[in-house]
Amino acid sequence: MSRADIDKVLVSIIARGLKAITDEMSLSMEKTTRSPILCEARDFVTGLYDAEGRMLEQTENLPILSFSLSPVCKHIAEIYRGNVFPGDVFFHNDVFTYGNQNNDVAAFKPIFAGDTLVAWAAAKGHMADIGGAVRGGYNPNATEVWQEALRIPAVKVVERGELRKDVWDLIFANIRLPIVQEDMRAEIGSCTVGERRLVAMIEKYGLERFEAHKQVLFDSTRKMMEAEIRGIPNGVYEGESKVYFDGKTPGSVYTIRVKIEVEDEHITFDYSDTDAQTNGFVNGTYTSSASATLLTFLQMVNPDIPHNDGMVEPIDIVIPEGTILNASYPAATTFGNHLCPPNADAIIRALAPVLPERVTAGWNQLLCSLSTGRDPRKDDDYVDILFMGLKGGSGATSDCDGYDHIGMIDASGGILDQDYEMFEQQTPHHLEKHEYLVDSAGPGRFRGGLGVETRYRVGGDGTQIVTFGDGDVEGAFGLFGGHGSTLNRIELRHPDGTVYTATSKDLVSDVPAGTLYVQEAGGGGGYGDPLERPAEQVRREVEDGIVTREAARDAYGVALHPGTTRIDEEETARLRGAM
Amino acid sequence: MTERFTIGVDVGGTFTDLFLGSSEDRVETAKTLSTPEDPSVGVLAGLRRLATNGGLDLETFVGRIGTIVHGTTVTTNAVLTRGGARTGLVTTRGVRDALEMRRGIREERYDNRFLNVEPIVPRRRRLGVAGRLDHAGAELEPLDLEAVRQAAGRLGDAGVEAVAICFMNAFADPAHEQAALRVVREALPGAYVCASSDVLPVVRFYNRVSTTALNAYVGPVLGDYLGSLTRKLQGLGFGGVLLIMQSNGGVALPDVTVARPATTLLSGPAAGPTAAAAYVQAEGQGDCIVVDMGGTSFDASLVRGGAAALANEGEIARLRIALPMLDITTIGAGGGSIGWIDEGGLLRMGPQSAGAIPGPVCYGRGGEQPACTDADLVLGYLDPDYFAGGTIPLDAEGARHAIERRIAEPLGLDVEAAAAGMYRVINANMAHGVREVTVKRGLDPREFPLVVAGGAGSLHACMIALELEIPTLVVPPTSSVLCAVGMLLSDLQHDFVRTYITPFGDLDFDRLRGLVGEMCREGNAQLRAEGVPAARCRHEAALDLRYLKQYHEVTLPVPLEAIEGGDAEAVAAAFHREHDRLYGYHLEEEGTDLELINVRVRSIGRVEKPTLPTLEEGGADAGAAVKGERRAYVPEREAFETVPVYDGAQLLAGNRIAGPALIERVDTTLFVSASYTASLDTHGSCRLENGGGS
Repeated sequence: MSRADIDKVLVSIIARGLKAITDEMSLSMEKTTRSPILCEARDFVTGLYDAEGRMLEQTENLPILSFSLSPVCKHIAEIYRGNVFPGDVFFHNDVFTYGNQNNDVAAFKPIFAGDTLVAWAAAKGHMADIGGAVRGGYNPNATEVWQEALRIPAVKVVERGELRKDVWDLIFANIRLPIVQEDMRAEIGSCTVGERRLVAMIEKYGLERFEAHKQVLFDSTRKMMEAEIRGIPNGVYEGESKVYFDGKTPGSVYTIRVKIEVEDEHITFDYSDTDAQTNGFVNGTYTSSASATLLTFLQMVNPDIPHNDGMVEPIDIVIPEGTILNASYPAATTFGNHLCPPNADAIIRALAPVLPERVTAGWNQLLCSLSTGRDPRKDDDYVDILFMGLKGGSGATSDCDGYDHIGMIDASGGILDQDYEMFEQQTPHHLEKHEYLVDSAGPGRFRGGLGVETRYRVGGDGTQIVTFGDGDVEGAFGLFGGHGSTLNRIELRHPDGTVYTATSKDLVSDVPAGTLYVQEAGGGGGYGDPLERPAEQVRREVEDGIVTREAARDAYGVALHPGTTRIDEEETARLRGAM
Repeated sequence: MTERFTIGVDVGGTFTDLFLGSSEDRVETAKTLSTPEDPSVGVLAGLRRLATNGGLDLETFVGRIGTIVHGTTVTTNAVLTRGGARTGLVTTRGVRDALEMRRGIREERYDNRFLNVEPIVPRRRRLGVAGRLDHAGAELEPLDLEAVRQAAGRLGDAGVEAVAICFMNAFADPAHEQAALRVVREALPGAYVCASSDVLPVVRFYNRVSTTALNAYVGPVLGDYLGSLTRKLQGLGFGGVLLIMQSNGGVALPDVTVARPATTLLSGPAAGPTAAAAYVQAEGQGDCIVVDMGGTSFDASLVRGGAAALANEGEIARLRIALPMLDITTIGAGGGSIGWIDEGGLLRMGPQSAGAIPGPVCYGRGGEQPACTDADLVLGYLDPDYFAGGTIPLDAEGARHAIERRIAEPLGLDVEAAAAGMYRVINANMAHGVREVTVKRGLDPREFPLVVAGGAGSLHACMIALELEIPTLVVPPTSSVLCAVGMLLSDLQHDFVRTYITPFGDLDFDRLRGLVGEMCREGNAQLRAEGVPAARCRHEAALDLRYLKQYHEVTLPVPLEAIEGGDAEAVAAAFHREHDRLYGYHLEEEGTDLELINVRVRSIGRVEKPTLPTLEEGGADAGAAVKGERRAYVPEREAFETVPVYDGAQLLAGNRIAGPALIERVDTTLFVSASYTASLDTHGSCRLENGGGS
């Protein structure tokens, strides 16, 4: 098919059509999965890939999962070449063959036009359990992959539409919770939705036209990304950030160092000087770390660029094996996704001087908890990740406040709070508070996004709480005169009056019923001098109860008349002059 | 027997459209300028126009009206412009920010300048009180009535006009909310007060608090408006029934909508698809795209199988409304859309609109910013002496001057080229809106006829269709008032829902029948109050079902007989099929039990519908209808040419007109561009086919 036969309208119809399909696959996952991690918080991704595994389109509810699907798809296409049939389904989670995290288990389904393999549909979500030593999967004591998870290299679980029951049973005999089976069935269903729709689309336009127009789509996307990169001055930019506590050695600190080289329409992120891997589970895999790099960079370019293979072509990411961002076999790596926030910090610090209008100040780092136990109301086990509690604020930009209660940068507002009533339907816990955290936003001409305070009363028996994250040592950083923000914190107030403050990578067993779980997720960093923030804006935030009178005075130099929320102009002028 | 009238009135941002059906199979349309300060003024002006056209005085005319169906956007505009009531929220202590947080979503993942929505109730008026139910409705802590009283006092001091009450788990037991409702109503007798257990008694706190807050926010606005309209109509001797259009595509009595004003939030375009379906069905088709371009907004929707798609929840300005509504995409593009030059020096159109006041520059009502209609006038599409049938004289010089100064000079173009640029940009914006309802859902717009509605729609439709390569357009004879027509074709319709959470295996059919019966009785009572005889009432039931331990439900329509007969197997089988169709698999063989969450009933009261009049047959030659010619812009050739002008009222069925041509009707002008040929069908619709023009 010659260039002249390309129908430009059809290119955009195909592009939008692919997006509609992955969105529909995503809806299928959201509507049919059991674990609240998937159906409420949307910790999953769906995508379509061509026969070679190149990305056609993705729906990225949680971008950190997204950019490992294409490498795994290429891997499956390669090792199963000649052995792929209509009706097959493959499972995969193995972090040493391009997986991003053990709990993120993917289903892949090949799509055929007649006898020709034309594409793959894939769905990947965070499973409520994946075997290993700890229920729910986060084992801060792990030193090797087998202590954290069941490894699933690319295996065929359905062949030509027939379930391979022996393979299926082997996998699920090693996973604690029966709902994981159901959620993997939901992934297969989502792939089937993708298969049905894409087959219909290819039948309509013909395979040859589809392929030709796909290539035009890749080319135009690549050109868009190249134009964006050309907008950054050529040069080498360096940044770094810290990772605190490897889950084993108190006080341990690791440094991520990135060197970003921009040359015309090409950009390279080089992590060669990053610290060596840890001997615990605080380690990244190549694909989780590269996903982090991509999603951070994508926030600095035109948000309308389509997400397909053309987008990633002009971008190189170098992460030597043996570093904390790309640990060698057989290291433990479950924490790897959560190295995204410090990785993003390093990239932002590197590019802030040259792209001051495209970067944000620092985002609140993730600190998360997962509770498991038995729900006596149903006489059944549950697993819940407390998404509503982890969502702190984003960093401010050169002309906007940060986004309140958005959550870590690797999701950027794509994962949602559990609905409060559904939380109480699905766990034996009882929610007491979920509100903006007062004074949590980093002050600035533009303030960071607000953090959040969450309290729930633990119910049920055999409760285990696992924490994973960071941000309890260093808060989100400010930029260009903006201030940093508050720290993350999780504590357990037991019925007997004792209080336990969890570390950032903790495993707490036998939490008694009646314990009050208290979590503070910090705000985002501020941008620009807080003394330049209009006093009226500060006053209104005092009135709304998200900034205290003391903070208005100390951080912003805004004084209010006692007992009112009127601005004391004279005192404000004096304070602002003196600060 | 005296002629009796049925009237549809659609109040838009710029124009108020009226459609009259009569007991003598006569139809008539009228269009007047909207009066946003008090929309009832425009409504009465429209009625006066219809009365005068029929040679009757207003009182006699109004006295002969049996039914007025009224579509109003007062609630929609209140939300979009943030002109709703000063509202307070009384909620459970500890969760007062849920309304603003919107579950922590940022819709644009990669755009760090994408801001959260300003909440309709600011934090200082969101107050928490003690009192708590558990997940099943059992009381954990009694409601602190004193705290409720204090909250009401604080809100009163803050000058609120409306209060929403939404407590955790109130879907399971409304007792706390109802107690608080009484206290707040007593403390604030002048305020509009509503509770989530009345507005939307279903599980999911965020959906409920958002819907209830919106309901309160627009309650006083709708109440005041409908009160004033009712009084004015009664003052004229109106003794018929006034019905209000709802977002679900059905109509209801004013009292019913004032109790749940949130049901009208997206009602503006909701009658369009019904009317469009009637016209394409007359041509033997069931599917179409409907576009409606008025003065302020452009609505696009898709009709399949004769009906518009329905959703159980939706959003207005990114705020959740969990009530049934038609699936319609709205963008800010209309005849009033203002042209401007952005910071990058690019020409933009809208979304700001000149509205009815001051209106486009050419209206001569003080507008200074050039709008789309000004461009249409400069391009020769409109006759300055025949706009709205000659009732609104247009100031062509003023329009030229404004475009010259604000668009042409900054861009370094002549006036005509600047006007053509405005025309092109707004057409591209609207084409994008059509993509939203088709391409974005993986559908090819080229496969659907485009039904054109709205006063400005038929001037722009050809270019929208060309951009999307849509080969066929249908312009109904009543296109400029299509929503008003749809209102007379819409049935009375009420949606009810109750939460009943149970594994399907343990389902107590008596309890289910009880709930369905209760809702049907409620529906019957409302329909009877609306004057619908029992023989015209029917009810449809649906169950929100899922596999046990799933989180989200499938709304499965279930025949009432299946519920009556307790036919669990048939319901389960239908659920498995639907789950597979939607989500690619089912778990029938696995033997997974189902779980019921909600029970829904829709009560429908069928109304008498006017029949579409037919047109006399003529030959292909439309020469007899030519009324003149004028210079107009032909976009395909980027040049002005002399174009024939036809009198729409003189056209006969079978007439063919090759583009470029203008067809003038009293309230709208159709521009047939050079790529299209128009032919008249038996109902007076212009069917435009690509090809055959010159």
